[in-house]
Amino acid sequence: MKRGILGHIVFNILAWSVVLVTAFPLIWMVITSVKPQFELFRIPPTFWPETVTFEHYVRLLTETPFLLYMRNSLILSTATTVLVVAVATLGAHSLVRFRYRGREALARLVLFTYLLPSVVLLLPLYLMMVWLGVANSLLSLVIAYTTFALPYALWLLRSFMQGIPDDLEAAALVDGATRMEAFFDVILPQALPGIISTCLFTFILSWNEYLYALVLVNTDSARPLTTGVMSMLVSAFNIEWSLLMAASVMMSLPLIIIFAFLQSYLTRGFGAGGVKG
Amino acid sequence: MTDTRSEVRFDGVQKAFGEAFAVRDLNLVIAGGEFVSLLGPSGCGKTTTLRMLAGLEFPTDGNISIGGRVVNGVAPGARDIAMVFQSYALYPHMTVAENIAYPLKKRGVARAERAIRVAQVAETLQLGALLARKPRQLSGGQQQRVALGRALVRDPRVFLLDEPLSNLDAKLRSHMRAELVELHRRLGRTFVYVTHDQLEAMTMSDRIAVMHEGVLQQFGTPADVYERPANLFVAGFIGSPGMSLLRGEARDGLFHHPGVTLKIDAAGAMVLGIRPEDVILGQGPFSARIRLVEPTGHEQIVALELPGGDPLTARAPPDMALRAGENLAWGLRAPRLHMFDAAAGHRLAVTLAEA
Repeated sequence: MKRGILGHIVFNILAWSVVLVTAFPLIWMVITSVKPQFELFRIPPTFWPETVTFEHYVRLLTETPFLLYMRNSLILSTATTVLVVAVATLGAHSLVRFRYRGREALARLVLFTYLLPSVVLLLPLYLMMVWLGVANSLLSLVIAYTTFALPYALWLLRSFMQGIPDDLEAAALVDGATRMEAFFDVILPQALPGIISTCLFTFILSWNEYLYALVLVNTDSARPLTTGVMSMLVSAFNIEWSLLMAASVMMSLPLIIIFAFLQSYLTRGFGAGGVKG
Repeated sequence: MTDTRSEVRFDGVQKAFGEAFAVRDLNLVIAGGEFVSLLGPSGCGKTTTLRMLAGLEFPTDGNISIGGRVVNGVAPGARDIAMVFQSYALYPHMTVAENIAYPLKKRGVARAERAIRVAQVAETLQLGALLARKPRQLSGGQQQRVALGRALVRDPRVFLLDEPLSNLDAKLRSHMRAELVELHRRLGRTFVYVTHDQLEAMTMSDRIAVMHEGVLQQFGTPADVYERPANLFVAGFIGSPGMSLLRGEARDGLFHHPGVTLKIDAAGAMVLGIRPEDVILGQGPFSARIRLVEPTGHEQIVALELPGGDPLTARAPPDMALRAGENLAWGLRAPRLHMFDAAAGHRLAVTLAEA
């Protein structure tokens, strides 16, 4: 019994030290964002700020295009997620349920797109966007993000849908449902955990994407947070650390909120990918 | 008794997956209100046949009709059938009541009417207390009842059952067999029942369709199939323990086998089929060595080795003294034996007598 308690304590200490190591940059980010500018470079550095100030947040929201970037990022990530998940859900259903020539080859081809580094795809994509006449817009980023998020979403959902028995759909058809009704009444509710985790993955991918946003867009009106904040606050001569940290805190908030609510679905997604994929 | 509106016909039905045939030239007429089992080992095409009747697979050739109407291109939901799956296929996210009501909902039955019909079915199947539960909260037997309820609720013309009892334990299975027979009698609808379990087929069916490698071997009453098997496959497949098959040669009015000689009115290479209960142990013109004795309680199953090495299975009363390794005299009930063509395998109409 004593050993049980001791083991418990050791385990907790270990777990918390891992949490601390992982979370320290985040904690440092939050602390830095509320320190006044003059306190940042003091030697020796202070851990707890001597004075807490929200001036950086106020400046960021009132004097910079931060809110515009935030709006762009939200539109971009939401649109990409909706598009990718809608296409991937139907696509995964097709890859799992229907028998047609080249089905397996198609599934593998999708995976093949992963073997190409995104840098290789960057220029062709940019030229395509120019040719389509959508370069330098949010739409071009939605299309670009879809190209790398869709294969991933397809494979994730495919492994989820393989776990749904064929008989369920057959039963719905015999019970009088059309194919579409069977899909919405029976398949979709079963695939819901998979769909939610795919939504999360896609949203996070697009929210954090930097490279494509940097190359494909160079006007403020279409810049997402990642490149927007960098170009606004980081220049060759000066980095505005307080503002940057305040921006980083606000950028992380949506993801932290989403994670907090849906993390149980996310871990199920990891499981499905690992076991079946 | 016969109700032509629920008659099922297969006319020259084929199903090919690429080069391989799952079902080959199937001709079968199931009368309205009949309980028919499709029986065969796994991979014999019985489930494909049922799924074609359900509309979940489409035949590559031939016609399927229900109630005189060709249904080849008709969607499953428009065929007026209900199906019970081996896996039960209950919708996991719906309650028992919602599961049973689903076929009604898809046919536009009003909510109030749905509730009444679900309540009726729940009473018939004693599911009343479970209506608010989800399928995963039910035992296998209860899930089975819900699957049955979902089929019953619509009162379809034809019930399709795909090995519905194979996931139940032995005791519940024999109980459900009786219940299904009772249900069939009360409803008077056509039941098409797929199984690999000959006991289920023999005890429940009006007629049995025995299938093997996509080909219908025999379609007849349980007694027909047991007492007059149409070919070597049916002879070997039906009956437990199985029929002993002895290959021999008939000439000059005698069937010759190293262990058996019989009078016969035909000639050629043949296979003699002997059911275990048609062997008389302890007296007779032949002799064999006892290899193994298996007491089952109400009888003993005796494995014998004939001169020449062929095996023979016999039934013996439980109190008969039998010891492995001993030699034993035995005889046959000649009129009850079966004879098949050795090359083609079909049943031969011959008269046999003791030599």
